[in-house]
Amino acid sequence: MKVNRKLIKQILLHSGLIIAAIICVYPLSRIFTVSIRPGDRIVSTDLALIPDGATFISYLKLLKETYFLRWLFNSLVITVSTSFIGVSLASTAAYAFSRFEFFGKRSAMIMLLATQMIPAGMLILPLFLMIMKLNLMNTYLGMIIAYSVSSLPFSIWILKGYYDTIPKSLEEAAMVDGTGHIGAFWRVILPLSTPALSIAFLFNFTAAWNEYLVARVVLFSSKQYTWTLGLFELQGQFITQWGMFAAGSMLVTIPVLAVFLYSSKWLVSGLTLGSVKG
Amino acid sequence: MSEILLSLGQVLSFMLLIAAAIASVELYLWAHFKYHDKNSIFYACALLFTMFAAFILKAAGFLTANAFLLFLLFEIFLIFASKKLLKGKKYLPYLLSAPAFLGLAALLMYPFIFQIYLSFHDLKLTTIMQWKETGSIPFAGFKQYLAVFTVPPLAEAGFFKLLWRTLGWTFINVFFHVLGGLTLALMLSEITRLKGVYRTLLVIPWAMPQVVAVLAMRGEFHSQYGFVNVMIKKALDIFPWLASLGVAPVNWLSDYPLLTCIIINIWLGIPFMTVIILGGLQSISKSYYDAAEIDGAGYFQKLFYITMPLIKPVLMPAVTLGTVWTFNNINVIYLVTGQAGGTEQADILVSALYKAAFTYNRYSYSAAFAMVIFLILFAISISYSKIFSERKEGKI
Repeated sequence: MKVNRKLIKQILLHSGLIIAAIICVYPLSRIFTVSIRPGDRIVSTDLALIPDGATFISYLKLLKETYFLRWLFNSLVITVSTSFIGVSLASTAAYAFSRFEFFGKRSAMIMLLATQMIPAGMLILPLFLMIMKLNLMNTYLGMIIAYSVSSLPFSIWILKGYYDTIPKSLEEAAMVDGTGHIGAFWRVILPLSTPALSIAFLFNFTAAWNEYLVARVVLFSSKQYTWTLGLFELQGQFITQWGMFAAGSMLVTIPVLAVFLYSSKWLVSGLTLGSVKG
Repeated sequence: MSEILLSLGQVLSFMLLIAAAIASVELYLWAHFKYHDKNSIFYACALLFTMFAAFILKAAGFLTANAFLLFLLFEIFLIFASKKLLKGKKYLPYLLSAPAFLGLAALLMYPFIFQIYLSFHDLKLTTIMQWKETGSIPFAGFKQYLAVFTVPPLAEAGFFKLLWRTLGWTFINVFFHVLGGLTLALMLSEITRLKGVYRTLLVIPWAMPQVVAVLAMRGEFHSQYGFVNVMIKKALDIFPWLASLGVAPVNWLSDYPLLTCIIINIWLGIPFMTVIILGGLQSISKSYYDAAEIDGAGYFQKLFYITMPLIKPVLMPAVTLGTVWTFNNINVIYLVTGQAGGTEQADILVSALYKAAFTYNRYSYSAAFAMVIFLILFAISISYSKIFSERKEGKI
């Protein structure tokens, strides 16, 4: 009797989870379906996963008729530069916080936390006006400036937490061998903290890669768009370009999904890494 | 200034060229004769850096590349300065943390102060050209702050209506995030097989780029072709009596935009909570449950007296964070309703702020509006932390 009850419980749990999983995955599968529909039936009430007469014509149209590749390229330039700047700034600052006692350290740490209180959405307007004043509207540099420090406090926090776990004796050994603090940092700490550095890089990267609101106001010519803006524009014209929107979404989502699922273990542990140290 | 940048860029690109040449020679030697010395890592780095810099130069144009190289030069200078000139340790932490804090000051603190400045002046579409050329804006005193409470930021909804909507939006979303996350996490921790598969599938809404996820969901709420209405129609075909209960396809995006946004946001937010709560559940030792079972505790007793108190340290920060995120969520609402001619019935405070600034171009007004929202959020966070700290003290 008891075995039976356990079995029924497992079956119920599995069916509940399957329903939840379907709800989570369904919109993605729908996008996939729409992206391979033939041109004359882009919008239809058909619910089949693989539609009749499936083709890749939407993908071809997307690559030919829009600036999609250019959008991806723009996003890549902006995102890589931003993450590079963010991580390199954070790595040195976190080292200072982790290894030194200095006047103002506590207040600086508190200031870092306090900046997290300022919602990012609130600073879009002054940033927009600054970028306008600097004549950087519609340029990569303007976007990079707007993005570069947004994840900085978080990155510093993560990296400090990680540096704290590296024993000091390693650096001391390096310094006995004749290198300075900087040398020890460069040759010992940085190579050892590759996992934390990659988490910080990934975090910066995804934040900038998926950003939409700043890009919306800074970039205005469709050749300079990031992919988020481009897809939003395609989706706006629901009936006519739905297929292209779906194709673009698939092309963007699959690599992001792959990276996320591959790194999700580290990402979650990285999220807690910083908070435990608080 | 620009000439200096220009010549600097030329010098640097020449240096890059040399670095690239050395690196390729080094690479050639290594590839053909397996020759390498301990500096080869340095050369490899130089090569990578060269490629990266060339990429930026090619892709982003001269100005960006120069700013980038200038920044790198600054960092290198900092490292050398601290190494050679200042042997004392005293300055080192300041040198190390200076770039980050300069960046934060210029791009986070300065905009914040500029926002306060703006909120006491009058910058709008008619004065913006003047400001751009001369840098002066007419002073307005508290006029903008008064306007926040009296003049609606958008076409219809006033400040207090938006405030209530925001509070409702935040509460409903966070409530369902926690409820859904808790349910799924408990279910996941109970099953014995396929745990990894479910976990992977369940985090997909979180893992997808948010823009894609929201826009895809938006499509599903289309009145004619969206999945939701198609399913309602099918259900009506099969069970005609449902129609007498008032079930009918509706215009989600134009008639119930707020409900649509809430459903989409709940769908988006549950995976994060699930993962966090699951992490908390896995850290609970099984011996607690065994002991409770010996004492004859039922399922709900175990849930409320063991599980809940023990995942609290994990759950509470997540809930606080989730509250702030939901309160500040412009993305979902703007992506769903932000198209030209989109509805304003779903707007919460922050999305109204975004629209007031960039659709209606009321800059100073939105600066004051932003400050008011910031103060509200500040008050909420303070009371949150007070409640928590009091509870902690009470426990100890």
